[in-house]
Amino acid sequence: MSILLTEEQQLIGQSARDFAKEYLEPIAVELDHTASYPAALVKNLAAHDFLGLFLPGEFGGAEAGFVSMAQVIENLSRASAGVASILVNHSLAAYALQRWGTPAQKQAFLPALASGETLGAFAAFEHGPRPGVGPQALQATHLPEGWVLSGTKAFVRNAGAAQVYVVLAGTDPAAGGKAVAAFIVKADAVGLTVGEPLETMGLRGCPVADLDFEHVVLTDAALLGDLKDGQAITAETFALASVAEAAQTLGIAQAAVEHAAAYAKTRIQFGRPIASLQAIQTLLAETATDCHLGRLGLLQAADLIDRGEPFRVEAAMLKQFLARVGSRLLVDTVQVEGGFGYSEFMPLPRLFRDIAGTTLLEAPADFPDATIAASLLA
Amino acid sequence: MPKLLVCYKWVLDEQDIKIRPDDLSLDASRAKGKLSDFDRNAIEEASLIMEAQGGTVDALTYGLPTVKASVKDVLSRGPSRLLWIGDPAADQADAYVIANVLAAAIRKAGPYDLILCGEGSSDLFYQQIPARLAALLELPCVSFVQKLTLEGPVLTATRSLGDGTEEVRVTGPAVVSVLGEINKPRIPSLKQVLGASKKPSEELPLAGLGLTEAELEPKALRRAPRGFLMNRKNIIYKDADPAANVGKLVASLEAEGLRG
Amino acid sequence: MSILTPEQKVIQRSAREFVAKEIIPIAAQCDRSGEFHPQVLEAARESRIFAMAVPRDLGGLDYDALTQALVLEEWGYGCAGVGTTLAASVLSMDSVLVAGNDEQKKMFFGAMVDGAIGSFGLTEPNAGSDAGNGKATAVKVEDGYVLNGSKCWITNGGYADVFVIYALTDPAAGARGLSAFVVEKGTPGFTIGTVDHKLGIRSSNTVELLFKDVKLPLTALLGKEGEGMKIAMKTLDMARPAIAALSVGLAQRALDVCVQHLQEAHPDPKIQPGQTLQFKLADMRIQIEAARQLLHHTMNLRDAGVPYSTESAMAKTCCSDMAMKVTTQAVQVMGAWGYTHEPAKLMRDAKIMQIYEGTNQIQRLVISRAVLPPPRPAQPTQKGGN
Repeated sequence: MSILLTEEQQLIGQSARDFAKEYLEPIAVELDHTASYPAALVKNLAAHDFLGLFLPGEFGGAEAGFVSMAQVIENLSRASAGVASILVNHSLAAYALQRWGTPAQKQAFLPALASGETLGAFAAFEHGPRPGVGPQALQATHLPEGWVLSGTKAFVRNAGAAQVYVVLAGTDPAAGGKAVAAFIVKADAVGLTVGEPLETMGLRGCPVADLDFEHVVLTDAALLGDLKDGQAITAETFALASVAEAAQTLGIAQAAVEHAAAYAKTRIQFGRPIASLQAIQTLLAETATDCHLGRLGLLQAADLIDRGEPFRVEAAMLKQFLARVGSRLLVDTVQVEGGFGYSEFMPLPRLFRDIAGTTLLEAPADFPDATIAASLLA
Repeated sequence: MPKLLVCYKWVLDEQDIKIRPDDLSLDASRAKGKLSDFDRNAIEEASLIMEAQGGTVDALTYGLPTVKASVKDVLSRGPSRLLWIGDPAADQADAYVIANVLAAAIRKAGPYDLILCGEGSSDLFYQQIPARLAALLELPCVSFVQKLTLEGPVLTATRSLGDGTEEVRVTGPAVVSVLGEINKPRIPSLKQVLGASKKPSEELPLAGLGLTEAELEPKALRRAPRGFLMNRKNIIYKDADPAANVGKLVASLEAEGLRG
Repeated sequence: MSILTPEQKVIQRSAREFVAKEIIPIAAQCDRSGEFHPQVLEAARESRIFAMAVPRDLGGLDYDALTQALVLEEWGYGCAGVGTTLAASVLSMDSVLVAGNDEQKKMFFGAMVDGAIGSFGLTEPNAGSDAGNGKATAVKVEDGYVLNGSKCWITNGGYADVFVIYALTDPAAGARGLSAFVVEKGTPGFTIGTVDHKLGIRSSNTVELLFKDVKLPLTALLGKEGEGMKIAMKTLDMARPAIAALSVGLAQRALDVCVQHLQEAHPDPKIQPGQTLQFKLADMRIQIEAARQLLHHTMNLRDAGVPYSTESAMAKTCCSDMAMKVTTQAVQVMGAWGYTHEPAKLMRDAKIMQIYEGTNQIQRLVISRAVLPPPRPAQPTQKGGN
């Protein structure tokens, strides 16, 4: 791995690892139980520059790039994927703003996002499985007073904790989801309500709720990018989400593999450690192999982002691979630990519950395939 | 505005070292380098003083040429400048040689108001370097430091003596060696990591330090280290009569040659 | 779907109605609270379902193997946790069927018929897959046995009335010194220890059993001393299909929940899921049915009196692996909704199916021995070999 990472990227990963050990490990189990948003911890993440990770220095960001982002997310996820989720979703909003924001918009939001004063969220989902089309349940209409948003966004991560939301809305009901635009909505916007927190089986600590828009009026300055940029913003932010969640998935899986391997060495059955059994070795070997290959795909996709090159197809491939493989990583490592892997006083059940949430996000099941196929068949 | 120096060692991460079961030799092929534990505290302490009082912190190290890999790691933890001496014979060096080299470098790059070291390194834990440096540089030496304040040239230190503490006051310059409990090293932020490459670092060639052949000749020879494996015998003496159990235990200890 | 007799259809429908009325409405609640479901037990007792494996001449329902599988599939469909409760009770009964004498059968099954729940106590912290590595002892005394030790992860332990407990009557002989005993709740010295909180099947009661100088009469011994391992293995053999059945029900539920949600969310025929999604649903359907048929075939073998041990292992493995795949797919396909609703529970429930009643690795060992039998020792008259 060190051939592919610069010294700085390795050191950043190490810092994230040390942070995870010192601040996340002690609270991970309790956070999973209470699912209460860890505000102080997020402030601490900000103090270590994690919230402004890839943002430009002129806005107070660390400009560390996306390979570094992958390192950070993976290492934090080893200890608490729930906390990593908060960072991932904040990063999606930060990315969209940095990529498509006007100088005024960037100045208005990026410094606070970098310093952690403001937590961001990206509101993309809607209720009902999306067969590959854009938003419809939230519509934005342009009226004399500005843009008026009405409807609901679903399963918004960081909802309630965020101060700014980047929201995808439909701009033409007749277009069946093909007309989409992105808006910047502050949490104190009149008419915006955060719904009841949703119980998730994993990634707990990262709040999830619906956002209701009741005639929320926004000025033209709230439009992110041009009207025609909506599809690109959607696709590219989803692509970044794929990369970030891949890092999360791999962090969780790595923690699971290491725990299961350590367990296998000490668990004696039939007079010897189960680590000596080929069946166990196979389960671990296959898991480690998938992690390794996934990690290479992740680094390459992140590196493309760093170079400013198109990365949507590679991100989609990464998502596809991990969606296929992802939960199996925990299905197999739990299997190594048998009954102990199923008992909530051990760590693997939490990792099992977490990883089911990192491989499915942000796009419907068929989305990655469509992107990849389009690149081959266009 | 004090001018501080921290000496550090780049060691193999013991977590990655495996003991070969057949001959108990060490397999360090997968071991990565890391900053020696107490040196991390020394660097942190120097950085804290600089943050409070201004001035500069130089970091200094002597090791194999691969010690170059430590530069950014150390600079991300606060020091203003890093000086490193790479020498293929460094892994044969004993405390005598190491202290000679460091002292020569300090004479060249100094003078310093305060020289900080870790109490001992994570790998060999000689605990000799600070005292030898102090002797070579004709400076006072304060060891086992768990708390430190610097006011002007006056250094106040609390030393940990196992069953108690001792407070000493010294007028600097001085050499100080610190324990792990002196501080909790902060985790470098991303900006600190990225800022490391912008700070100056310089290789000091060994040849340019003016040391004689004798001063570079180790007086102590270190042979191949052997690992230690705990082997449990898993024998329980469960006689109903405790005296019988004791007798059996004593007999097996004798058989192991443990009673003499 | 299999071809069922009219009687089987009636029983299946009745089980389906019971599950819809008593189990499905409380499943999510019990999963959230992790608490056992005594209200279901009451209703189950009335329906006499715990007597489904008890022979008719002892007052039971004496369902054939396929019918039992049909019932268990329905219970698995409703809630795998509740289904596990039923399956574990039947499991304990199987030990008595295998090795009990007439007196013991009368006593045990009589209790079942009256609504008692059973519990099977074999597992210990150091005896998981290595079932013969247990430490619990049953020392023979003049008029009985004295039981000492502990068991862990015992299903129904906190609620059961009758238990089958495995302990060493001859510790020096290791697994060959294991014996099986019938133990009643409330026997002095027998207490329930900690309750295990689990990733899934959370409504199933899983506890530690503690035995301190528990005095058992001679009549408590099932079969002969030293036969414990044999009895346990035969019992697990018989019980494997139960897990297969629960798994099939669980997977079917996952598919049905997805379909229901898709239909409710998109009644507009113009917006249909694309081919990728449709094909995933088709694959789920194929996998569930194929596994179900393997299970039903296994049950037909058993009902015909044909040896079915290998098929039993195959069915358990195939159905539980399938359920894990299908429930994972369900969460994936249903996205964020799946993660925050029933598919998530189903996925958590499915995982245990691959682990308990013999891990799927152990099952594969059993199956592989049938596929590639270990070579017989070479005869001295044969030429060749080294």
